[in-house]
Amino acid sequence: MKTVVNVGIGGRSFIIDEDAYLKLDAYLNKFRAKTDMGYHTNEVMDDLEMRIAELFQQDLGSKSEVVNLSLVNKVIAQLGMPDGSADDGSFGNTNRTTYSSESGRVRKRFYRDSDNTIIGGVCSGLAAYLNLDIVLIRVLFVICFFCGSVGFWAYIIFWIVAPKAETAAQKCEMHGLPVTAENMSKFSHNK
Amino acid sequence: MEFNNSSVDNVRSQMRKGVLEYCILSILNKKDAYASSIISELKDANMIVVEGTLYPLLIRQKNQGLLTYRWEESTQGPPRKYYAITEKGRGQLTEMDIAWKEVVDTVELIKK
Repeated sequence: MKTVVNVGIGGRSFIIDEDAYLKLDAYLNKFRAKTDMGYHTNEVMDDLEMRIAELFQQDLGSKSEVVNLSLVNKVIAQLGMPDGSADDGSFGNTNRTTYSSESGRVRKRFYRDSDNTIIGGVCSGLAAYLNLDIVLIRVLFVICFFCGSVGFWAYIIFWIVAPKAETAAQKCEMHGLPVTAENMSKFSHNK
Repeated sequence: MEFNNSSVDNVRSQMRKGVLEYCILSILNKKDAYASSIISELKDANMIVVEGTLYPLLIRQKNQGLLTYRWEESTQGPPRKYYAITEKGRGQLTEMDIAWKEVVDTVELIKK
């Protein structure tokens, strides 16, 4: 059994598997970022979405079937990126050689964890980044709060500087997981 | 050698990129077309590998006034964009024809 999502693409509605939806959403975001044509970007995205709808329709025919991950992958391979490169399935990583040459090592980034917050999500973000127990980090911060103002200011600075992990892709990066549809679906469930 | 092959590929893709806009105008000069038929013609001619390249180009050329589109009703699904070349586009195409001939002639001359 799988969760499905109802989406409107290019003026048509489709029922799409959740993993396929996340993959398509990540692809569209990446395409948008790479197009970079100011306010004309929306026009390009409209055209692209219409083409995606056309290709989905062609494949599904008149059957009212669900768009699955393999169809989405096929369409993405056909469409590719605005600069003519193929989509490598990762999000926000424009350089595909560095991605593969690090033999699966994924860039980990420091985000504030929006799912586990007490104040600003700094401790939980730090725990995810350093792979430490969140309780340990919190206890350390509380001790620092009482021993002078250093802990307080450190927390405030982290709060200001670190972005909040809001999208599923950012949450993957926060935990150091590769940004794949499968990993992203882990985080979209506990929203 | 691996390195040589990839640099040849790079040059080839650069060349194609350079004449892609010229090709789009040439296709529309023959007859008006949907984006999908422009794509399939370019694909058949091995001009593009992925379709994504084309959409930003079409919008850019439209904004430059080289081409225009109208909405055509289709039998199934919503209306689709039907592209056509403008007078300005024709003018540019004529200039591109001349420039293309010059490039080809120059290269031939140098190779002799």
